[in-house]
Amino acid sequence: MDEGDFDDLFGGGGSSAGSSSESLTTAAANSMLRESHDISVLADCRPSLHTGYPIASKPPTQCSSPTVKTVEAGDALLQQAHQRPCAKSKASPSEALGSNDDNVQQGVSVIQRIERVFERIADDLQSDAKDIGLTLRVRARPSTSQQLVSGEGACEVKTKHVCFPGKTAAEAWRFAVVVRILELMHTTLRTGVVISKRDIYYRDPALFGSQSAVDRYVDDVAFTFGVPRSALNVAAVAKGLVVGAINFCRRDGSIVNAATDKDGLLVPSLKEVLSVNMKAVKWIVVIEKEASFRAIAGSRFWDRLCTEGVLITGKGYPDIATRAMLRFLSTPSPRNSFAAPPVYGLADFDPDGLAILSVYAHGSVALAHESAELRVPQLKWLGLKGRHMGLGSDSTHASQGLLTLTARDRSKAQKMLAQRESPADPGDTEVRRELQIMLMLNVKAELQLLDAIPDGLATLLQGALSSLGSKQEN
Amino acid sequence: MSKQYLQTHTNPTAHPTDIFALATTPSHLLSASGSSSILIHRTTNPPTTDPSDPSEDNPYPLIQTLHNAHPLGCHHLATSLDGSIAASAGFGGEVKLWRCDAEGTWSHSHNLAQAASNKTSPAPWALALSPTGDLLACTTHSGHINLYPTTTTTAETPQTPTTSFETQGSLGLSVDISPDGALTASGHANGSVYIFNNRTQTLAHSLSSLLKPVRTVRFSPGGTLLAAAGDAGIIALYSVTSGQQVASLAPPAAGAIAGREKKTTGAAGGWVMSVDYSASGEWLVSGAFDGKVRVWGVGSGQCVAVLAGPEEECVWGVKWAGGTPGQKGGEVFITGGRGGLGFYREAGPLAVIREREGERERERERERERGN
Repeated sequence: MDEGDFDDLFGGGGSSAGSSSESLTTAAANSMLRESHDISVLADCRPSLHTGYPIASKPPTQCSSPTVKTVEAGDALLQQAHQRPCAKSKASPSEALGSNDDNVQQGVSVIQRIERVFERIADDLQSDAKDIGLTLRVRARPSTSQQLVSGEGACEVKTKHVCFPGKTAAEAWRFAVVVRILELMHTTLRTGVVISKRDIYYRDPALFGSQSAVDRYVDDVAFTFGVPRSALNVAAVAKGLVVGAINFCRRDGSIVNAATDKDGLLVPSLKEVLSVNMKAVKWIVVIEKEASFRAIAGSRFWDRLCTEGVLITGKGYPDIATRAMLRFLSTPSPRNSFAAPPVYGLADFDPDGLAILSVYAHGSVALAHESAELRVPQLKWLGLKGRHMGLGSDSTHASQGLLTLTARDRSKAQKMLAQRESPADPGDTEVRRELQIMLMLNVKAELQLLDAIPDGLATLLQGALSSLGSKQEN
Repeated sequence: MSKQYLQTHTNPTAHPTDIFALATTPSHLLSASGSSSILIHRTTNPPTTDPSDPSEDNPYPLIQTLHNAHPLGCHHLATSLDGSIAASAGFGGEVKLWRCDAEGTWSHSHNLAQAASNKTSPAPWALALSPTGDLLACTTHSGHINLYPTTTTTAETPQTPTTSFETQGSLGLSVDISPDGALTASGHANGSVYIFNNRTQTLAHSLSSLLKPVRTVRFSPGGTLLAAAGDAGIIALYSVTSGQQVASLAPPAAGAIAGREKKTTGAAGGWVMSVDYSASGEWLVSGAFDGKVRVWGVGSGQCVAVLAGPEEECVWGVKWAGGTPGQKGGEVFITGGRGGLGFYREAGPLAVIREREGERERERERERERGN
C-alpha cells in the first residue's frame, strides 16, 4: 500500500462527488468491457488492508440529502484520476464450473472483493461521506423482440447505484439487502459451506420480505462480480429429480446409486459430486413434469430405464442445479467418463412446455450471462408436438386431454414466435413451426394426454429410442 | 358411386415449412406458409401453349414470390372472385392487402392499419374477401367479425371497421362472404356458426352448433348452402335462407371398412381443416388433420373419393383451381400442408387405365428389386 492511496481515500471522501462518482465511473467503463468480466465495480480498486469489517448499519452522523447520479456509459466528465489498475482476477464462467481448483482460486478473489466493498463502506463512514453507495451491474430486462442469441451476453447491462440512507426507504432497504447478502456470501466463502438461496432468505425473512428479492439480488451480485453464482457458494434449493443407470461418487466418498429408488433422487449439487459413472447410459430423457416423471418410473419402462437410461426433471422451469446436472451428464468430461449420450426432451404441447425445453437447450433470458455452461443444445425434442394431437384415436379420454388455447397462451406463443423471427439454429426452427401449428390448431395438450393411452408415454419413448438404436447400428 | 382422382403434379418443396393457407384466382394459386413469403403459381396455361414447351413438365409454374410478406409466417389468405385483390394475415397480427395488375403481377397495396395493441380491436385471425373485393371480413380472438372497406388506402391511419358483429367471445376460426356479397358466415372455436346480413348489420341465423371447433365455413357458388366443418369430423350443410341444417356429410363409420380406417379417425384424426366447393357447386373437397383428402357429392351426400396425403401429415388447405370445367385447369383441386402442394384431377377412363398400368409396372419393378 502506498501513500497515494491514502491521499485518494481522504480526498475522495471529502468531496461530495468523491466516492460515488468513482465507482460509477468504473462501472461505466466496465459496462463497455463486459466480455472481460472485469470486476472492479463492487470491489473498488484499493488493496485490502483488513478483513472482516464489522458491518455497521448505523446511519452516518449527518444525513444530508443524497446525491444520486445517473451516468451514461462512457461519460467523459467523470473519467477522473481516481481510477486505479485493479486486481484483475478474471475468471470465465466456464472455468469456474469446470474444476475444483478454479473454484478455490476464485473463492479467494471473490472474498477479497467482498472485503474491499466493506472496507469502502467503513472508510466512507469514518470520513463522514454524505452518502454511502454501492454500484451493481444489473441485467436489463430484455425486450420481447430481443432474440435469445447464442453465445455470451444476450442482455444489456445497466448499472444501478444503491445508496444509504438514500432518497427513499426502499433505497435504504435495497442497500441493506445487498450488504446482508454480501455478508452471508462472505461467510459461506470463508467457511466453504454451500448455502442455498432459500437459506439466505430464512436467515432474515423480515429484511428480505420475499424469496424473489433474494433471488434477484443474488443473481445481480454474481453478475456484478462476473462469476457464476456457484462461485459464491450459493446454490438454488435442489428441485430437480434424477433416476436411472448412474452412480454418483460424492466428495465425501459415498456412492449414490440413482437406480435404487423409483421416487428419484434429488439432483445433487455439482460441487458435491466428484464423478459419475455413466458406463451403462445410452440416453437421457428430460421431462417437464414430476407427474410424468413418476408415471414413467412406475411403468413397465422402468426396467429399461434403470439399466440403460437416465430420466431427469426440473419440475417445470428448471433450476440451475438441474440444468447444470444435465449439461454435466451429457457433455464429455473426465468427471463423467467422457460420456455423450443423446438427450431427449418431453414436455406439454403449450407455450410454457416449449419455453421450458428451450431453456434446457438454449438457456434462459434472465440468466443469459451464465447460461453458456448450462446449455444442452443437442437436446432433441420428442414431444408433445402438433402431430401427437391425433394420438389416442377412438379415445374420448384422449380427446378430452386436448384444451383450447387461452388468450394468454396465444399471446405468449406469439411473443415466442417473435423472438424467433429469423431462427438461427434448427432447434429454433422446429419450435417456430410447432408454435405456428399450435396457434393454427388453437389446441394445447398436457403430457397426461398420453396417460389416456395404455402405456402411452412409455410407448412413445420406446419408439423414439428404438429408432435411435437402429441409427447407431447403421 | 365413386370417382377416381389422380395426383397430376406435386411440389413438396414449394415452401420450406407447412403450407397453412391457399387461395385461388381464375388464373393463379396463392400459397402461404410458416415462412415469410407468399408464392404465386400459374394454374392456367397461357393461350399459346406449345406442346414442346418445357413448361409442360411443370404445368403450374411459380411466377412470383412476394418476399418477406409476413416475417413470422402467414396463416390465412383470401382472394376476391375476380382475382384482382388478395389479403393475407400473419402470425405477427398484421393484415396486408395485395393487388394484381393487368399483366398478372401482384404488388403490395396497403396494410390494414390497426390501432396497435388496442384491446378493442384485437388481432385479426381468419380472413375473407367479398367477390368484388371491396369488403374484407376478419375474425378476431375475441369472437368479433369485423368488416373493412378495402378501398381506403390512407395506410397509416388506424381503420375502424364499418361493421363489427359481436358473438359469444370465442375465437373466430373461419369466415366467408357469400357470392353476392350480402352475407358473412363465421365458425368459432366453441362450435358456433353464424350468418350475418352485411347490409342490415344484423344476425341472420345462429346455426345449430357443431359443439367442437369449426375450422372452415364456405358458401356454395350459388349462395344457397353453407358448408361448415371442423373437429366434429362431419361437414354440415345449412340452408342459407332457412338456417336449417339440411345434410351432414360424414366419412363411413370406422367399422364399415373392416377397421382399416380405424387407426386414423377419431380424436384429431377426423378434424376437417378446410373445405371448398367446385365451381359448379357439385362437389366439395375436404382436407383433414390426418392427411386424408375427400371429395363429396353435394347432391348425394356421399364421399366419392378418398386420397391419403403423404405420410398422414395434416392438410391445412384445399382449393379447387380457378377456370371453368372442361378447360385444362378446370376441375382440378390443390392441397397444401406439410407435404407441400399437391394437384389432383379427376381421371378419365384412359387415365385410370394408364395409372393402373403404371402401378403394375412399379409393382414389377419392386419385385425385380426384391429378386435382386
